[in-house]
Amino acid sequence: MQWNSIRFKLLAALAVCLVLGIGGILAVMHYSFERNSQVLAAESVSAAQRLFTILEAREISKMTAVSETLTMNPEVRDALVAKDRNRLLELTAPLYPKLKSEGITNWMFHTPEPNMTVFLRLHNPAKFGDTLNRFFDQQVARTHAIVSGNELAKAGFAVRIIRPFYDTQGTVTGYVEMGEELGQFIHTMKDQTGSDYGLLLNKKFVDRQFWADSSKVWKRRDNWDDNPNFVVADKTTPTDAIFRFQGDLAGVTDQGKVLERFWSGDSVFVRGLFPVHDAAGHTVGAMFVVRDISAFYLAMRRTQNILVVLAVAPLALGSLLVLTALKRLVFRRLERIIVVATRVVGGDYHTEIQVSSDDEIGQFERLFEQFRCVFVDLLTQPSAAQEKGTAAGR
Amino acid sequence: MSQLYDMKLLIEQKIKDDKLDAPQVKGKIGLRCGTVLAFISPTTPDDPAKVAKLKTAVKEVLNLNL
Repeated sequence: MQWNSIRFKLLAALAVCLVLGIGGILAVMHYSFERNSQVLAAESVSAAQRLFTILEAREISKMTAVSETLTMNPEVRDALVAKDRNRLLELTAPLYPKLKSEGITNWMFHTPEPNMTVFLRLHNPAKFGDTLNRFFDQQVARTHAIVSGNELAKAGFAVRIIRPFYDTQGTVTGYVEMGEELGQFIHTMKDQTGSDYGLLLNKKFVDRQFWADSSKVWKRRDNWDDNPNFVVADKTTPTDAIFRFQGDLAGVTDQGKVLERFWSGDSVFVRGLFPVHDAAGHTVGAMFVVRDISAFYLAMRRTQNILVVLAVAPLALGSLLVLTALKRLVFRRLERIIVVATRVVGGDYHTEIQVSSDDEIGQFERLFEQFRCVFVDLLTQPSAAQEKGTAAGR
Repeated sequence: MSQLYDMKLLIEQKIKDDKLDAPQVKGKIGLRCGTVLAFISPTTPDDPAKVAKLKTAVKEVLNLNL
């Protein structure tokens, strides 16, 4: 096929249409994937944030109810008034394993202000008498009302409540505090959503030595040096790779932040994070959300492949039909005219051009047949040839 | 005899030897050189331009050097 033939030009035009069609489909699918993965990431972050808030509220409600029951117990109240640590331990210790199994891992009694020392730690009875002087302690001492929220302390980052105990005269005789590790939340969240989570703590709020010590206690790797600005306190995946983040946790707004997509092997993840505040309102960390969108990506790729096939197949079939029709209706008939015209010049005056249709090429065939008849008539006139010869001789 | 006529005879001989479609081959040569071979007779005067065109046409169609 010659490059300047109509067939070649037509094929080239169809090929361009095909490339443009496929390119358009790929561009639309790419845009759609970009847009949808962004929406999925944003939706994952906001859904995780809502779930975290719900879990936080639920656990605060649970600890509030348990502590309320405790304050109504006269034996517990009397033991605290009497500052009888052993009696208090005797009364409460049987309950601690049950509460611990429900997530309440921290349980303390405090003496009233001004000292406000730790009177009894159910989770570590041997240790007492120290002063914590946290935001919580200051707040409950000031208001004598229940205080709840997240607190980053030596025992870890936990959601806590603290409330006063009163004697029969209404005087504050001490405080009870309960707490649940925030790290536990992410496992519940993973169970509910299937996404992976990581609790990141801003290094500004974590003591380096404390982190090293607690890593030994919890038998976890000291990951302090893994990231420049934060430490991963807990996570639902065995690897930290999907929690890569170079920014400043303090800069994450309350609405959360969607991060760039992450590829690991054949899997595609969307990522984002939302801030976690302590009871004083400081952004002490962030919850990292990682959602595996590989299934969505594969479905999109399948749709893309189907669309490409749906575009290519009809276009290829259309091209074949157009070329076949052109060959039958135009090219073959033109070739026939050329053959007949050539034969006439070569001395075959009997082969006629058959007018096969009344279409545009048929009109041309008719015209050419008429032209052939005139030409043959001229060639076969002996007088014309003779006159031509005579004229040439003159 | 003219050179053109000699060439015409050689063409016809070649067509006969190779058992080619005479009207088709002569037509192709005629269209290429602008001369109807049937009009070439022993008395046809030699026109150098026509001779050259015929040689080229024969070369293209029959791959024959005259």
